[in-house]
Amino acid sequence: MGWLVLAARLVVGGVWIVAGALKIPDPASSVQAVRAYRLLPEALVPTVGQLLPVVEVVVGLALVVGLLTRTMAVASAVLFVAFIIGIASAWARGLTIDCGCFGGGGYDPDAAEKYPWEIARDVALLAGSLFVAAVGHRGRWALDHVLFRRTPLES
Amino acid sequence: MSKKNRAEDRAARAAEARAAQQRAERRRTIRMATIVAVGMALVILAGFLLTRALDTSTDVSAAPAGASEHGVTVGDSDAPHTVVVYEDFLCPFCGELEAATRDDFERLAEEGELLVEYRPFNLLERISDYSPRAVNAFAVVLEESGPEVAKRYHDLLFDNQPSESGPFPDNQDLLDLAVEAGAEEDAVSEGILEVTMRDWVDDATAAAIEAGVQGTPTVILDGEVVQGQPQDILDAVLEATD
Repeated sequence: MGWLVLAARLVVGGVWIVAGALKIPDPASSVQAVRAYRLLPEALVPTVGQLLPVVEVVVGLALVVGLLTRTMAVASAVLFVAFIIGIASAWARGLTIDCGCFGGGGYDPDAAEKYPWEIARDVALLAGSLFVAAVGHRGRWALDHVLFRRTPLES
Repeated sequence: MSKKNRAEDRAARAAEARAAQQRAERRRTIRMATIVAVGMALVILAGFLLTRALDTSTDVSAAPAGASEHGVTVGDSDAPHTVVVYEDFLCPFCGELEAATRDDFERLAEEGELLVEYRPFNLLERISDYSPRAVNAFAVVLEESGPEVAKRYHDLLFDNQPSESGPFPDNQDLLDLAVEAGAEEDAVSEGILEVTMRDWVDDATAAAIEAGVQGTPTVILDGEVVQGQPQDILDAVLEATD
């Protein structure tokens, strides 16, 4: 079980790190990608667009090294649910936008073909996050084991 | 004290020690988790300040409305408010912005409240050469037929905007539209069909990039970039001119 949790942490965390790191150098595009979903009021759009890549990298790093593992897995799951809702709603409203998942964003004429794959990918990563959150084990090689070492009970 | 009592006493003390140890451990865990969580929050805050500083989407220093050689203006040059719109004839959001704002901008311009300058440039050549061809045709019409016809042509180009996935109008279509806008066919046909003002297109594009324009549409109201959905931008202009 420990290895399985580690594998889930590495995959989900790795995806977060890549997704966030690609966006950090170009926050203007990230803001534009958030705006293209037309879900948030303009007052929030720049802040969300600037904050999201950073949160993604931090959640990803925390999952990879196993820091506050279960809390971060819950955060990861919440983010994936939000993204799935965002993409599904863009699809349902007939918007043709690049999901901006790994940078980029904005209008994309081929978007309608990509939505199902993007949703499927995010559902798989959501499942990975929920698995890490639900299982009572932080997995192998987690910093949590060092920081939150349990002293054996004297009997 | 009986043997039994001593044993019970020992068990009770052991249980008490265990409970105390668990309490201490829980305190340690909470303290450590708090430290880690605060550390993460600080990292996120630092990263946020960084991305905020890196977000250059409002750092545009464009020539004021009416001061560019690569645009067409609507309204009085001494109107109290100005709007500059950088756009690409192929950009779908530009088309939406046009649809949402044109009538109000024209009304405000007529009332003397607003000077609008439209600055088309070539952002999307990587998608189709329609983008530079359309800007070229606009430049030809502006030069040969003057700003009023050019503004009508600009409007018609957006009213007949192709999808980013094509099919794209050819130069003959662009010429037909120019004639519909009121250009004299003889005056503009060579320029549009032979794409003779490509230098103008490149200069306009260089000027936009030089000004810091990163995407289209970029709207500048009284010198400040306005962002948002077309309705947000219209609301900002309506509020300013109220």
